[in-house]
Order: sequence, then structure tokens, then C-alpha cells
Amino acid sequence: MDCREFCEQHVAYVDDTLAGIELVRMQRHIAECESCAKHDAKIRRALLVFRNLPSIEPSADFSRRLEARIRECQSDHILATAQRNLRYGAVAATMASVIMLGYIGTTLYQRTAAPQDLMMPPVVASIPEPDLAPITTSTPAIVTSVSAGLSIWPAALFAEQAPVRFAHSKLELTSYTR
Amino acid sequence: MADIVRKHVVSVEGPTIRERLQAMDDSAVVTAFLGGEERAFSELVTRYQTRLLNFVYRTIGDREKAEDLVQEVFIRVYRHLHRFDRSKKFSTWVYTIASNLAKNELRNRSRNPLVLFQTVQKNFQDEDRPLQFEDTTARPDDMYRKRHLREIVEESVAKLPEHHRNVFILRELEGKSYEEIAEITECNLGTVKSRLNRARNSFAEIIAPYVD
Repeated sequence: MDCREFCEQHVAYVDDTLAGIELVRMQRHIAECESCAKHDAKIRRALLVFRNLPSIEPSADFSRRLEARIRECQSDHILATAQRNLRYGAVAATMASVIMLGYIGTTLYQRTAAPQDLMMPPVVASIPEPDLAPITTSTPAIVTSVSAGLSIWPAALFAEQAPVRFAHSKLELTSYTR
Repeated sequence: MADIVRKHVVSVEGPTIRERLQAMDDSAVVTAFLGGEERAFSELVTRYQTRLLNFVYRTIGDREKAEDLVQEVFIRVYRHLHRFDRSKKFSTWVYTIASNLAKNELRNRSRNPLVLFQTVQKNFQDEDRPLQFEDTTARPDDMYRKRHLREIVEESVAKLPEHHRNVFILRELEGKSYEEIAEITECNLGTVKSRLNRARNSFAEIIAPYVD
């Protein structure tokens, strides 16, 4: 062991917290090194003086003063608790009042409010199916009458009803293709 | 007959609450206080007032202020004991509070020159007081030597840097373990050992001329 290592471990050596082997090494070093032995003695002597300092005692009125402060502390605590409870009560009362006022206000408003737009159920409109006889666009009679210069009424009738028939035939076509 | 009955009743009652509290460890006393036993707090005060007073006094060097700070420690304990983590040692917690208050006091003092002046003045007046607590049977030169040595020791401790002094007092005066000191001063174990080593060396250097 060298002096540096001795100094590093000196705290534990003085406090007697070293392991057995380390303790023996420290003791051996002290026996060999006069400087470290002197250092060890100097520290131990100083600590002895310090540890033997007379203890000071609390003054005579220490307990009385402390009791007074504790009582003060207790009354403060009681006051604080009461104030806290009062504050919670006030908050609860305010909230209840606000809810009540809101309810009353809403009720009154609903009663006195102007009539609003009437909401009617939706109307479903349906187109009645036209009462038309199914015709085929390729009726041979019509074709024949037009080309042969016969009375024109079937052609006129056909022209008048053409849009409806045209739509009808489209619908038919659609239903066939589905 | 009445005397016999009274004696019998007394023997059946067993130890008083105060005696039972005295027999308990700190943890049990704390539990009793939290359970509503107000006398348990007095027991804690009795156990710690002198130790804390010495610790704070050696740290800040002002007796009156030390008493005020110890009172403050107990007030804080009273107020916050319900928040104390009972898995830890009560003494460590109390010393942590005291250490923090002492540290704050030193910090305030260094910031406020008036407080520093008042302390110096008070200490000066203390020196003028007659010897009150010395052994009067001793010879005057012995008494002087004792007082002189005590003053020198106190001055030597006061010369240590604050964080060294704190660790030094906790170890040498209060006998705290390294782990407890680490917890109280909120340092790691290595720092505690290093500070303790330096504090011991510095103190020994300062005091050596007077004790050799």
C-alpha cells in the first residue's frame, strides 16, 4: 500500500468500516510510514476534541414556545378547514343556482318563443302509370298505312303519343336489360 | 381496605401512555400520532430537540437562531407528518428538514449584511458574559482553557465550507451513517466520503496548533 491509497481509505479506516484484509494493510502501512502515522494521529486527536464538545440544551421556555406555536398551528388548521368547506359549499350552491336558472330560462323561452316553421312529414309523389296499350314500334299496319297514303289518323295518333310511347319503350327496354 | 383496592387498580393499569410511548421506536410513535395520540408528538420533540439544536447550532453558529430553526422543524413535522413516507427513517426526514433550514439561513445571512452584523455583535456580547455553565470547582485557568478551546473548536468548524461542515457534523456529532448523510444532504455516497475526508483534514489542520 502506498500513501495515496492510505489517504483515500483513511475515512473508512477511522470509521472502522474497512474489510479485514484492508484493515491489516492499513495498520501495516502505519507501522512502516511515519508520515501517515502522524496524519492518522492528527485526525484522530482533532476528532476526539470535536466529539467532546459540550452539548447545548434547549432554553427553559423552548417547550412552552413550541406548544404555543403548535396551538396556533392547530387553530390555523381548523380555520383553514372551515374556510375550505365554506368555499366548497359556496361553489356547490353557485353551480346549483346556475343550473336552476338555466332550466327556468329554457322553460320560459320555450313557452314564449315565436312559432317556428311547421315541420310536415315528407311527401312522396308518385306518377300514375299511363294507361296505354302496349304497342310495338314495328306494327306492320301503321307502316303500311303511311306508305300507302291511307287516312292519316293512325300516323297523327302515333305522332301525338310519340314522346310517351318513346319513354315507355325506353322503360321497357331498361327493364329487359336488368 | 380502600388502599388495598387502589393499589390493586394501579398494578393492573400497567405502564402509562407516556411510558409506552417512550418504549416505542420512532416509527411506532409516528403511527401513534397519526392515529390521533397527540402526546406522541411530545415524545418526538423530547427525543430530537437537543440533538437537532446541537446540529443546527454547530452548522449556523448562532444559538438563538438555532432554537428558532428547531422550533420551525417541529412545526413542519407537525404539519406534514401525514405526508411522511413511513418506509423511511423518521430521523433522516427530520434531519433533512433541519439541514435545509440551516442551509437557507446561511444563504440568507450571506445575502443580508445586516443579519451578519447582528450575529457578529451578538457573539461579541456573548463573549462578555460571565461564565455560567462551567464547572465552578475547577481552577480559573482551567476554565479559561476549556472555554478557549471550545471557542477555537467552534470557530474551526465554522471555517469549513458549508457543504463540508454539514457532512462533518452529521457524521462526527450525530453519528449518522454514510447512507443517511447521503440521503439528508441529497448527495451520492462517493461525494459524502470525499467531503468527509476533506472536512476532517481541514479541521485537523486548523485545530492542530491548539491541541498539540
